[in-house]
Amino acid sequence: MTESPLLLQELLRKTANGDAAAFAQLYKHTAGKLFGVAIRISGRGELAEDALQESFVTVWQRAADYDPMRGAAMSWLIAIVRNCTIDRLRRQGTRPESHTAPEEALARLASVDKTERGADLRALQACLDELEESPRRAVLLAYLYGLSREELAVNLAVPVGTVKSWIRRSLDRLRRCLDS
Amino acid sequence: MNYDSPELREQLAAEYVLGTMPPLVRRRFERLLATDPELAREVEDWRTRFGPIDYAAAAQEPPERVWLAVERRLALGSAPVMQQAAARQGVTRQGWLGSLAFWRIATLTAAAVAAVAIFYLTVLTPSSPPSVVAILSDDHGDPGWIALRGAGRNEIAVAPIRAVAGDSGHAFELWAIAGGTPHPLGLLAPEPGHPLMVQAALLPADGALAISVEPPGGSPTGLPTGPVRYTGKLLPREP
Repeated sequence: MTESPLLLQELLRKTANGDAAAFAQLYKHTAGKLFGVAIRISGRGELAEDALQESFVTVWQRAADYDPMRGAAMSWLIAIVRNCTIDRLRRQGTRPESHTAPEEALARLASVDKTERGADLRALQACLDELEESPRRAVLLAYLYGLSREELAVNLAVPVGTVKSWIRRSLDRLRRCLDS
Repeated sequence: MNYDSPELREQLAAEYVLGTMPPLVRRRFERLLATDPELAREVEDWRTRFGPIDYAAAAQEPPERVWLAVERRLALGSAPVMQQAAARQGVTRQGWLGSLAFWRIATLTAAAVAAVAIFYLTVLTPSSPPSVVAILSDDHGDPGWIALRGAGRNEIAVAPIRAVAGDSGHAFELWAIAGGTPHPLGLLAPEPGHPLMVQAALLPADGALAISVEPPGGSPTGLPTGPVRYTGKLLPREP
């Protein structure tokens, strides 16, 4: 990400004041990255387009809710896009059959990103590596591709209850590993 | 569910960010999130933990039609025109016919003219020349709402000049500001056809009107809780 966090914050602040030109700028600076996130999660261009559109309508309406003290503007935008994309996936109910294996996808991302964020990503990867294989896969499939508990259960051939407890335990271990 | 347990809160925040909450649980969690800063912080912590994955996503230019659809849905097309108009004209003159700036802005787009016409017919009898009580503008001086009074009437009508982008999760609330203290006047409809009628006696002789964004149903505290989006000074009454 080459965009200055302060620039995005400023554009978001102006958007909250109803500044349509700032809103257009914000779109120009962030739509590519956000579309990339929506496509990765949904695996489908058309759904990703709809989710991106919905996301920016939400950004315009909710820009005033963004609090710079709570985190970067880009994180806020990514969260909106993730929510909109996952909402749409859930409503459609069907998923593309295949994804790149999530561990592979993560490794590829980590090797490409040489920035400070890349280092954060490698730290996350190291902590994920400490989890057992199936629970790790559940967490990655959920975050990377937006799989629901039920979809994870089918994908990993275990009951939903098992998925739930894997996720719960994995997230707890992940937090302790990353915070240490 | 007992949302006071720290373990449960931590778990919910994590699952919310991971995206595996069932939709209904998610909606409920989001409502809770809006009023629980501590929980919001935990969510933010989880976004920071997983965030590097999304930051590393390969950018991909979306087709042009996505932006065009956003613009159309939010009716942004006319906004720059209105903004330029507001920049050129200081909206200060009182009186309906005397308010040249208002007329220039109103005649800029057919939509605005239609909106004002509907407003005029709905609210005011054409035989009584109305006067402008206040024009409420945003931070950029772009006028968004107008307050009008018909001659001999005890009521003020407040409506947007054109439809204002809103959503069901928020309401626009009108306030009278006198001596720095806001008094609630009521909730506004975001379309020109449904003005809010306010007793003229509730307006201070010298002061301002303001519109803030509030939860549906209005501010729970009797004071503005959301951002103030529009303000306008009450114009002096014509002699």
